[in-house]
Amino acid sequence: MSSERKLRGMLNSSVISRRESLFGLGASLGSTALSSLLHAEEAVSPTGPLSAKDGHFSDAKAKSVIFLMMEGGPSHLDTFDPKSKLKELHLKRFSRGGKEKSAMESGSRYYVESPFKFRKAGNSGADMAENWGHLAKVADEICFYRGCQGESVNHPTALYHMNTGNRFGGDPALGSWMTYGLGSENQNLPGFIVLPELSYPQGGPSNWSNGFLPAHYQGTALRPTGSAILNLKPPAGITREHQRKNLDLLKQLNERHLEKSQQQDDLAARMASYELAFRMQMQVPGILDVNQESKHTQDAYGLATNPTDTFGRKCLLARRLVERGVRFVQLYAGTWDSHDYISRNHAAQTKAVDQPIGALIADLKERGLLDSTLIVWCGEFGRSPDNGIRGGVAYGRDHNPHGMTVWLAGGGVKAGHTIGATDETGAKAVEVVRPIRDLHVTLLRLLGLDDNKLTYYHAGRFKQLSQFGGKVIDELIA
Amino acid sequence: MLPASRLCLCLSLLALAAAGGLPCNADDVTSFSNGEVLFALQIKPLLQEKCFACHGGDPKKIEAAFDLTSRDGMLKGGESYGTALVPGKAAESRLYESVTRENEDLQMPPKENDRLTKKQMSAVRDWINAGAPWPKDDRVSLIVKSKASGVTVATSGGLSEDWTNRRYKPEDLWAWQPIRDPKVPSFSAPVGGGALGPGNLIDHFVQRKHQAVGIGLAVAPRSDRRSLIRRATYDLTGLPPTPQEVRAFLEDKSSDRAAFAKVISRLLRSPHYGEQWARHWLDVVRYADSAGFANDFERPNTWRYRDYVVRSFNSDKPYDQFVKEQLAGDEIDPRNPEMLIAVGFLRMGPWEHTSMSVARVTRQQFLDDVTDAVGQVFLSNPLQCCRCHDHKFDPIPTRDYYRIQSCFATTQFADRGAAFLDSENQNGFKSERQRLRERNGRYGNLLNAIAVKTRDAELAWFKERGLPYKSRREAVQKKAPAKDIPPSRLGRSPQDNGLERIGRKYRTRHGWELSRFNPIAFSVFSGKTPRYGSIQSPIAMPKDPMKDGELEKTAILAGGDTFSPTIPVTPGVLSAVADSNDTAEATDWNTVTKQPAGRRTELADWIASKNNPLTVRSIVNRVWQSHFGRGLVATSNNFGATGKKPTHPELLDWLCVRFVEGGWSIKKLHRLIMTTDAYCRASTHPDVKMVRRKDPNLELFAVFRTRRLAAEEIRDAMLAASGELNRDVGGIPIRPDMNLEAALQPRQIMGSYAPSYQPSPLRAERNRRTIYALKLRGQRDPFLETFNQPGPDKSCELRDTSTVTPQVFAMLNSEEIYDRSIAMAKRLLDEEQREGRQIANAFQLCLGRPPTEEETTLCTNHWHEMTERHKTLKFERKNPPKSVTRSAIDELTGERFEFTEKLEVYHSYEADLKPWDVDATTRGLAEVCLVLFNSNEFLTVP
Repeated sequence: MSSERKLRGMLNSSVISRRESLFGLGASLGSTALSSLLHAEEAVSPTGPLSAKDGHFSDAKAKSVIFLMMEGGPSHLDTFDPKSKLKELHLKRFSRGGKEKSAMESGSRYYVESPFKFRKAGNSGADMAENWGHLAKVADEICFYRGCQGESVNHPTALYHMNTGNRFGGDPALGSWMTYGLGSENQNLPGFIVLPELSYPQGGPSNWSNGFLPAHYQGTALRPTGSAILNLKPPAGITREHQRKNLDLLKQLNERHLEKSQQQDDLAARMASYELAFRMQMQVPGILDVNQESKHTQDAYGLATNPTDTFGRKCLLARRLVERGVRFVQLYAGTWDSHDYISRNHAAQTKAVDQPIGALIADLKERGLLDSTLIVWCGEFGRSPDNGIRGGVAYGRDHNPHGMTVWLAGGGVKAGHTIGATDETGAKAVEVVRPIRDLHVTLLRLLGLDDNKLTYYHAGRFKQLSQFGGKVIDELIA
Repeated sequence: MLPASRLCLCLSLLALAAAGGLPCNADDVTSFSNGEVLFALQIKPLLQEKCFACHGGDPKKIEAAFDLTSRDGMLKGGESYGTALVPGKAAESRLYESVTRENEDLQMPPKENDRLTKKQMSAVRDWINAGAPWPKDDRVSLIVKSKASGVTVATSGGLSEDWTNRRYKPEDLWAWQPIRDPKVPSFSAPVGGGALGPGNLIDHFVQRKHQAVGIGLAVAPRSDRRSLIRRATYDLTGLPPTPQEVRAFLEDKSSDRAAFAKVISRLLRSPHYGEQWARHWLDVVRYADSAGFANDFERPNTWRYRDYVVRSFNSDKPYDQFVKEQLAGDEIDPRNPEMLIAVGFLRMGPWEHTSMSVARVTRQQFLDDVTDAVGQVFLSNPLQCCRCHDHKFDPIPTRDYYRIQSCFATTQFADRGAAFLDSENQNGFKSERQRLRERNGRYGNLLNAIAVKTRDAELAWFKERGLPYKSRREAVQKKAPAKDIPPSRLGRSPQDNGLERIGRKYRTRHGWELSRFNPIAFSVFSGKTPRYGSIQSPIAMPKDPMKDGELEKTAILAGGDTFSPTIPVTPGVLSAVADSNDTAEATDWNTVTKQPAGRRTELADWIASKNNPLTVRSIVNRVWQSHFGRGLVATSNNFGATGKKPTHPELLDWLCVRFVEGGWSIKKLHRLIMTTDAYCRASTHPDVKMVRRKDPNLELFAVFRTRRLAAEEIRDAMLAASGELNRDVGGIPIRPDMNLEAALQPRQIMGSYAPSYQPSPLRAERNRRTIYALKLRGQRDPFLETFNQPGPDKSCELRDTSTVTPQVFAMLNSEEIYDRSIAMAKRLLDEEQREGRQIANAFQLCLGRPPTEEETTLCTNHWHEMTERHKTLKFERKNPPKSVTRSAIDELTGERFEFTEKLEVYHSYEADLKPWDVDATTRGLAEVCLVLFNSNEFLTVP
């Protein structure tokens, strides 16, 4: 077979045009699959690394995840876990001893009450600070979890832990594991998309790294300004026709080279990726354009209004991506880090995300997507019931990995319930106390994945998200 | 080789069961029932390995109240299912049902990876059917002693007797065995054209394997000279051969082998050899120019370690010496700067300590990091698993993990004075230092201006109240009453407060970075662990390393938790390595001093020894991998039971012996490997289907495996082709142009933003080889990252080469690619005025061959067509930004402020050649160059 025919087979066969595959096609395409692809006559569906796969459990409802990462550490005590005891203790001195000495245990410290008023929301009577007005309307969709515990008091290590299961970075992120396990329903977009804040969080892109998994499972950060995907557009002056001509020459040169080669898998995959990239650089911007949504929808998410516009856009885009089959979308909002002026900072952060998140849940529900979309809200840790005197001008709270609130919605979670509890000052979890790895295992389970089966052989060992196994937190699952 | 009597890896196979003093004879076999034997040899170990963790190990945490540690427990069963065992009836026993995994609701053990093998399932069935006997412990050990198969390995001892006495499959212990010098197999001349007959003994081993799998003598013919020189030049230097080098090789009248040997010699003498090999080594040791985590502070002096590695490879430093220097250079010769630089290895992992961290936790983080790194890098055994428990599969007790860790318990960080060597490249110091000082000075001025504001405001405040003080500080010092002390930050706007925060942060950063130009080594010393707080500047070397701080005592940590020490340990080595069990027989070689100083030296002596089979096999395998894209052991960081087994174990050992005989010379090893027929084979085979069938993963070297260029090679090769490559060796990190949006991407550091990435201002500086590019953990170059450059947090044994679509965007659309293409077009037109010759030269430069007639026509037509198109295009000059403005919330006040960062580099920036600088003809030709850069042939080592 001439290489031209081979290529035609590969690039123009009904197989590919039926399932265009921008991010899905890759060199790890099995050689059998690829040699089949090279034969135009044999219509075999491509099994690229991102093609959709079944999970381990067939009863899972969630098909995709929208992970709302409240970077900086939102205070559970000032959002969803009120502590009346702190009113009593307000400004009482207190000292924390112990071996884990750091700046956050030093100096004279005092308890701090929450500056926020609380109320019960929804039929379920969920605890919420009053400024979560929009979220309160969907309170019954949410499962609040107060038992999660981390291990690290530092932002980057805690964030790595929540995102990758390992405090020191370098391992695959949760989104990478999920796309590795399930592939993606849309081969034209990355399976794992991250919508970071304008500024990247501490620890940087290692928070959405594919680690040792193949590059297809890397989180693709869509930048909020400028080019969403770097170099998606050709430079000024280079039109589509212009670029087509370059690609035609490239194709001809590559065909001649392919004819002389036998180890073609990588070569052919790369050739295919050029053609697909060419098509996709036209289509992707449209997919990312939230202005295609109705005015009504845009308003609901708080677009074009401050301070909800930024996160509203992300939430709306997340819905569009999930609708198009993207497996995992992670949104960053922050920073919630509030060592001082927690009233001001948390009020501002809450205002920025409350309406967008409320709209997202309502919108997904209206479109019948809430059941198949798992929403996760958390930070890298919670905050302490006390504060050191930093400047002594306004109350704030320090980092606290021993107590936090994580909440889940949609995707088969136990909606309308609050699971677990922290102690009377909110210093640490005391009921349904589980480590982050158990939360991870639970999230995988909600997607139909079994952490113990979702393994990858690397450097001589089968590795898994939980590092060495974890247990599903059954209480969180409906 | 070692005298057999000193072997401590006792191969007590069934036939050698005399170890326990029990003769192995027929009587013993009959004295135990089959059920008992099954229990002792298979069922009990199985239960221990797979079940007890949840069902019995810890009485407080028994899952489902189901205790599997006794027969009674099994009979009683758990709360979910009731009795699990019906003796004599496996089919009715839940225990058996659960391990078969046939019932979806009852699958044990829960982890798929722990799934029992068919053989193990049968054992459970047979044992139950035999009445499920449960002999007492002493009887079990009697049975084990007389009948167990597999081998035991003597070690320093596990946490349990069972672990200590457990048995291993001999094939899983291959790496721990002493290296033997195997007999070289005989050789038959291969069939097919191009073969040169016997020459290199490696080919004998390779051929024997071909015979074994049925490939026989049907190997690929010798590669053509063009491919061969391209292959060798990329392998040894990471650069393409120049057209002159290709021509010289083609015209060499010597035999193919002799001519190629000359090429190898020339390449091994090239200073670029060290650069390419440093790249491999730096992947393994996780080199970066910054610390990672919250601040991602730059490490201003690590570049000297990077250059030390380049120098070491270029001078063909014996590998044993290379290892010793990196582990213990400071102890070996503290007066030699090179030795102080070399131990930078120990600090290569990401690490920081901020005011928010707990010192003991970050200290432990270093200890765990360095322990595991030493295992992976030098011994090809990750040790991390043994932080919490005895190794599940390999003969590494957790005790050995902490014994090795104890070798580093006195290792302390210091940025030590170490005079610059003549061989160190100090070019660029002056201009970089000046730029950094300017930057630093600017933030100093900013802070001063804010201080003046406060001073004036305070003066006014005191004056208004008729108070005598000149500053708040003075008032506080003089113990003025509270009402006479002004609020802090008086006279400052939120903007001032925000800027002050940034100013202080940047002063700290840049102040530290200024030490880059000082003769300082990123180094260590041996002594007491000092008390340390937030680290934001070079760490001074104490006068007396034993004066202040704590002399750490190492203990096995329960669960790896630094606050839970258990059994104390002293420095030691991996006791399972042949002759290394000091608890059985202590020798000079296998013991490590307990003194605070000298531990690393003695550990290094144990590692870098010809008697250490792990070390020698590890490096030989890495070198092999670099040439064939796959090691003889595919998992080059892991030679353990779960790693891959060697495809050619005897060849590996034979190479090890030659390597040590050759004085641990890596260059000799390259030469030995590269002069084989295996290395010189074509990447195409007359009967590729047969080869694929017999060797589906192409790991037997019947045909050469092509590889895609690594990220750095792609950039360097483009610079070489465009003529822009600056081939200077070594020096402080340079900063290539990075996609501007990525460069200016704001990123958070503790309480602030990191300074923006700014490229080096001069073209010649930017266009250095990629290995010299500043490598920040928190801000990776998107071009390199998309071409699978590994992140520097974990040791990378072999690069991924997945094809992902962002690679296309980077290669087709990025400004950097257009810059290279235009520069190359300009070069082609400058160097060759004769019409039509430029295309031929472009092929020579990019692909090392002339174009075919057809290719010439295609490319020439394209050039002309694109020139016509470019005549219609007008490119507006674009100037890079001179500053960037960020807005942020001040942590202390919660107020928003704006910060404008001057991008001083762009005030004196020498831009690359841009579209608006050249005419349509050049731009048209640049389009051809762009296509060539994107071609598969350019990106592939043939």
